[in-house]
Amino acid sequence: MTVLFWVVSVFGFVPMQDTVSLEQVEVYAPPLDRFAKGQKLVNFDSKVLEAYAARSLGDLLQEQSPVFVRQYGAGMLASPSFRGTSAGHTAIFWNGLPVNSPSLGQSDLSILPVEAIDQAQLHFGSSGALFGNEAIGGSLHLGSKTEFGKGFQGKISQTIGSFGLFNSAISGGFSSKMFSTKSRFYRQFAQNDFSYRDISRPGTPETKAQNAAVEQLGFVQDFAWNVSAKGQFKAAFWWNKADRQIQPVMGSNTTDRQSDENVRAVLDYFRFGTTSVWNLKTGFVRDNQFFNESQNQTRQFFLASDWDFAKGKSWQFKAGARSTFIRGDLSTYAATDQRFEFYQSARWQTAENLTVSLNLRQFAYLDNFIPFLPGIGGDWKFWEGEKQEILLKASLGKGFKAPTLNDRFWNPGGNPDLLPEESVNGEIGLNWLKKGAFSWDQSLTYYRMQVENWIIWLPRGSIWSPENIREVQNQGIEYQGNTKWEWGTLNWEMGLSYTFSQALDLTSEPANPRQLPYTPQHQANGNLSAGIGGLAVNLSSFYVGQRAIGTGNTRILDSYQIWNAGLRFSDLKWGKTRFPISFQVLNLLDRDYQVLYLRAMPGRSYQLNLTIHL
Amino acid sequence: MKFTLKNQFGALALIFLLFSCNESGSERPLGVYDTGILIMNEGAFGANDGEVFHFDPVTGTAKVNVFEAENNRPFAGLLEDMVLEEDRLYLVANTGKVEIVNPGDFKSRGAVIGDLNQPRSLATSRGKLFISDYGPYDASFKTPDSYVAVVIGLDGGTVKKKIKVSNKPEDLFTSGKYVFVAGSEGGKIEIIDADTETLTKTIDVEGKPVQFFEQRGDLWVYSYDSEKIYFQSFHRENLTKKEFRELPLSKATGRIALGEDDRIYILTSTGWPNYNDGIAVVSIYDSTLIPSWKTGSGFYGLGYDKDRKEIYVSNSKGFQGNGEVAIFSKAGVAVKKLEVGRGPSGFMFR
Repeated sequence: MTVLFWVVSVFGFVPMQDTVSLEQVEVYAPPLDRFAKGQKLVNFDSKVLEAYAARSLGDLLQEQSPVFVRQYGAGMLASPSFRGTSAGHTAIFWNGLPVNSPSLGQSDLSILPVEAIDQAQLHFGSSGALFGNEAIGGSLHLGSKTEFGKGFQGKISQTIGSFGLFNSAISGGFSSKMFSTKSRFYRQFAQNDFSYRDISRPGTPETKAQNAAVEQLGFVQDFAWNVSAKGQFKAAFWWNKADRQIQPVMGSNTTDRQSDENVRAVLDYFRFGTTSVWNLKTGFVRDNQFFNESQNQTRQFFLASDWDFAKGKSWQFKAGARSTFIRGDLSTYAATDQRFEFYQSARWQTAENLTVSLNLRQFAYLDNFIPFLPGIGGDWKFWEGEKQEILLKASLGKGFKAPTLNDRFWNPGGNPDLLPEESVNGEIGLNWLKKGAFSWDQSLTYYRMQVENWIIWLPRGSIWSPENIREVQNQGIEYQGNTKWEWGTLNWEMGLSYTFSQALDLTSEPANPRQLPYTPQHQANGNLSAGIGGLAVNLSSFYVGQRAIGTGNTRILDSYQIWNAGLRFSDLKWGKTRFPISFQVLNLLDRDYQVLYLRAMPGRSYQLNLTIHL
Repeated sequence: MKFTLKNQFGALALIFLLFSCNESGSERPLGVYDTGILIMNEGAFGANDGEVFHFDPVTGTAKVNVFEAENNRPFAGLLEDMVLEEDRLYLVANTGKVEIVNPGDFKSRGAVIGDLNQPRSLATSRGKLFISDYGPYDASFKTPDSYVAVVIGLDGGTVKKKIKVSNKPEDLFTSGKYVFVAGSEGGKIEIIDADTETLTKTIDVEGKPVQFFEQRGDLWVYSYDSEKIYFQSFHRENLTKKEFRELPLSKATGRIALGEDDRIYILTSTGWPNYNDGIAVVSIYDSTLIPSWKTGSGFYGLGYDKDRKEIYVSNSKGFQGNGEVAIFSKAGVAVKKLEVGRGPSGFMFR
């Protein structure tokens, strides 16, 4: 009960009943909602994650969020571009561990399968104070969900689809009130032998994609143990191995192969006081990549601790420190790095309608205490009706990115004198909530950001070397709306999203700044679903506007709009066993499109999934 | 680069051909691209966005993406070389193909696709194409399996044979039935008999040979190392060495352009980490040696317009997007700047 009391007192949750499942303890873990006041957050619910279980995080973000995902082909490298920033400007966390490669400074979303996670949240804008390194355009928070008191749960899932898609997953778990364990194993395979029009050849013939097969294997183990009323251990382990043929760009006939093996492990201990929680976290991440014969391996060790406490009804605080030890054994160099971070957050609920948070972080690397990262924001519920409320959100924060190991040490070309990339981000937005039979949640956000010392690799004769050369000014508008209503016996749900993103390169032509390469100004997505009983149909679409392939007045790639449709029947049962079945058609209109220049993408494809919940 | 020189002979040949055609009454009308300047934009690695731009120095207008505009599909490759021979323009992509177009209208005539790895240049002889190719990289990024590919016919097709040559062959030059190959890594000139499609002779030369050219009727090859540049000429009748020059010019690159009065312009670069580029001027026939005629950074290609007596210097602008061409008068005075495609690496003056 101590834990429950703490949850109620610190976070202001008011249970509607006397007994609340210990599952609610989970709410303490992510500080996103509590200290990210004034900032935009998107939470993917379990229904969405389930629908994308057989697909990658890249597909999920492209189709369901304002993030532009630069995809080099089906199952190939997919990197996020948040608010017009680059792939290295998105911090990615798994169960609180930063998992971006320290040598590349980014993650490949294609080898982060949705099957391996239970939770995903997007945080928009620079928030170095809350999340540290690389949170410039935004951050992505992935994690496992710990459940207690659920007994045995098991799941077997099989998806078959076009182009040799064959994905299998099996998971099983057991939880009592004191103990929780869950294991899952998955294999995802696609031959990717789709047809496309090869515009690099005379006559532009229909051609089958070559050298594009992908196989991923993974194992995830979650574990939690309430050692006492005041203490809890949590652990998670994730092994993922991806073997990919690298689909050549049209006009080339390369037969490259890439193998990525990632091991991630985290161990948390929580100590609950009456109004506080102390957390000790340790973690390990190993990335091992083979590109043809060339091997690159990095290891990261993390040790962190923080103390989260409440003072009265109005104040909450969090203070902590994190140390990171990095070792890189790359094909052309070996290097080590150490980073230390000290952070604190405060949240003040000044009145029932106004909450302000202040976050501060001091980062230290290369024996220097730089940079200092502050962030402040507030939520003001300035209008509240019987069933409606409007929230005004505003925030200002700094972000930064330390030069990667490759930036500093790659031989030849590495530049040890690089400065960190730095950003300042401000945003203001409205959030309009309406409850009732016709409910909605709509938000409109304006952001403005300046990124300086942006690192670009440039040729220096035959050697390429990174420099702090680019300065970029970003601003944009993001709209997101979700509406639910009932019409007869049908339950309808509609989501719409539109993003205008201007990211001007102030470096190449300061007098006539242009949009950064591969950064669409316009993006939109929408989905409409209708359900009756256990049957649900959905139609979704996403639109990506024109984008240049380089700086200056270069080639412009066409915009594209892709439609997907799906049918799901979730009420198939036999005793206590449920076996939902779903069918999806991707790229319904068989649109011929390229996300990146001359990178072929698949046309219409089909996926059939059967899952058995034991 | 390589084409710049060859092209000048090609252009002369074309003029001669046109003149001859006039005489015979079966002339080919002058095409849009038979005059002006073709700018070769290599493109960026991984993007395959190489293309040809056309610049009319009389009107000052430029036409972008000429291949795509005339063929309704992108070039889709990294453009390594342009060779004008046999009234055909060969566009060599080091990403593994050769596109063949009419020089006047750029309409596709054919291609060599498949069975090539990293083609570098091309020459024609006896109705065949000879394509120098680095071959595939091995595990340590070396190219031990370099070759010259043979294709029967002048309008492309399949590779009939691969003649093994020394590592990293660059420029090719045809003299009768012999095809000279500049074996850059091994410092060798290898000579192929076009009839038998076999290697008949190998001649060792100083430095790293990369470029053939003709001056005062002699066939020369230009080669360089970190401290010096070298010029070696050949007796074409018995395939032996003729004359040799060695000049103390350090940090030379493989990019050269032939000017007037036997002047040769050479692009120099200190490379990483200082990275200072320059243009030197030398002569084989007198003592001219100006190590720093121009200095700057980002220089990537070089050309000389003999009609207008202007030097064209291209700048890759870091391959981030479009490049730039600066035009100088013979006296070194800046005349004009043009925005061109990505990675501009050379010019063909028509």
